[in-house]
Amino acid sequence: MSSSGYPDAGAGFLNTAVAVARKDLRIEWRTLESLSSMVLFALIVLVVFNFAFDLATIRELGVGKLVPGVLWTTLAFAGIVGFARSFQIESRSDAMTALLLAPVDRGALFAGKTFANLAALVTLELVVVPLSAVFFDYDLLAVAGPTAIVLALHTLGIAELGTLLGAIASRVGRGEALLATLLFPVATPLFISAVKCTAAVLDGGGLASASKWLLIAVGFDLLYLFVGLATFEYVVEE
Amino acid sequence: MDGFLRRAAIVLLPIAMVMMLAAIWMVFAYVPDERVMGPVQRIFYFHVPAAIITFFSVFVLLAGSIGYLWTRHTAWDQLSRAATEIGLLFCTIVLITGPIWAKPAWGTWWTWEARLTTTLVLWLLLAACMMVRAYADNRDLGARLASVLGIIAALDVPIIYKAVDWWRGQHPVVFKAGEKTPLEPRMLRTFLFCMATFFVFYGLLLAIRVAIVRLEDRCQALVEASSGDRA
Repeated sequence: MSSSGYPDAGAGFLNTAVAVARKDLRIEWRTLESLSSMVLFALIVLVVFNFAFDLATIRELGVGKLVPGVLWTTLAFAGIVGFARSFQIESRSDAMTALLLAPVDRGALFAGKTFANLAALVTLELVVVPLSAVFFDYDLLAVAGPTAIVLALHTLGIAELGTLLGAIASRVGRGEALLATLLFPVATPLFISAVKCTAAVLDGGGLASASKWLLIAVGFDLLYLFVGLATFEYVVEE
Repeated sequence: MDGFLRRAAIVLLPIAMVMMLAAIWMVFAYVPDERVMGPVQRIFYFHVPAAIITFFSVFVLLAGSIGYLWTRHTAWDQLSRAATEIGLLFCTIVLITGPIWAKPAWGTWWTWEARLTTTLVLWLLLAACMMVRAYADNRDLGARLASVLGIIAALDVPIIYKAVDWWRGQHPVVFKAGEKTPLEPRMLRTFLFCMATFFVFYGLLLAIRVAIVRLEDRCQALVEASSGDRA
């Protein structure tokens, strides 16, 4: 980052968030540590699901019955791998302390971390969703638009929760196991909504048939954006 | 504060004991059998108050969590610590008595219906709050993390309920039928008495637990002070 890249003391919320996100994404870009493990893990989960439910079963039940569940379970599990790493990079050589020394709004740290996690999840989805179309034999191109909207709305909520709860799990020195225990119950409404919306889209019902679920997703995204911004400072504070 | 808690416990203990015995007598001897479900319906008088206490406890947890993050006064954290544990206890009672009633009444131990699912997820959330607190290196960190998690858990409950309600549809018909016909006077009296009993019982448990939490904190502080002297 150039010398002008660091925000001045008390710099604006947005500048700080962007700086944190850029830092995280640059580390990720140069090491590919978290993304490679997320993608590989997701691939393995997809393959396991293919053994669990063979193509004949899926064709018989219809794509909308099985694929949404498979897809979101895969994304959630792979996401957890990424969220846990997002704070592991901060505990290495105690980078978190340095980050907290900056006189900036803690909410901005949350926003930046969330954005970096969101970007990682979206990258993961760009690989996993087309692959699932190949593995489970459905026509992704025909429903690409609505699928993208559904993915974006629900991925944002998962990234917010993953960042906040990932910070909590990392503060008590537990990784993926505790994070999964925290994330899955809290995200229950989001997963139900994600599966319902994806099923509606894959069954050709379009977004209109899932409008109330989209409402839950948007409400969930906004609520946890607010909760994250308001409570992140209590989580990271020394 | 300690004196108040001790007095509260001493006053509430005999009241809770007498009321609980009376409640048990009412449930088993006083109240008539329900026409359709028969004697198994009697579990309702303990099951529903336990469920209401569970959700009340989550409300106390929310208040304690916000109070602690706002004021940083340990009394709030002691309150939410007690509310988490007692909430988990009553949540467990709900999850055990529910299926016992559901098997004969609905013909199944469990169904993924809104109230059941929300209670189960709430149990997981309360357990997670206790886990995070137990894992934390020091009391302050544990209190902060558990408070954040407590707020998340309390806010999540209504959304989970709504989501599962839309997902699985309405509560099975049995409950609707019960709601249409007003409760028989003796049933209503028994239910209200059980409700009051559970609130007194909850108050007693909360007073005792908060008092014990305060003692634990004092012991911890003494240990820390003495080890500080040595160093």
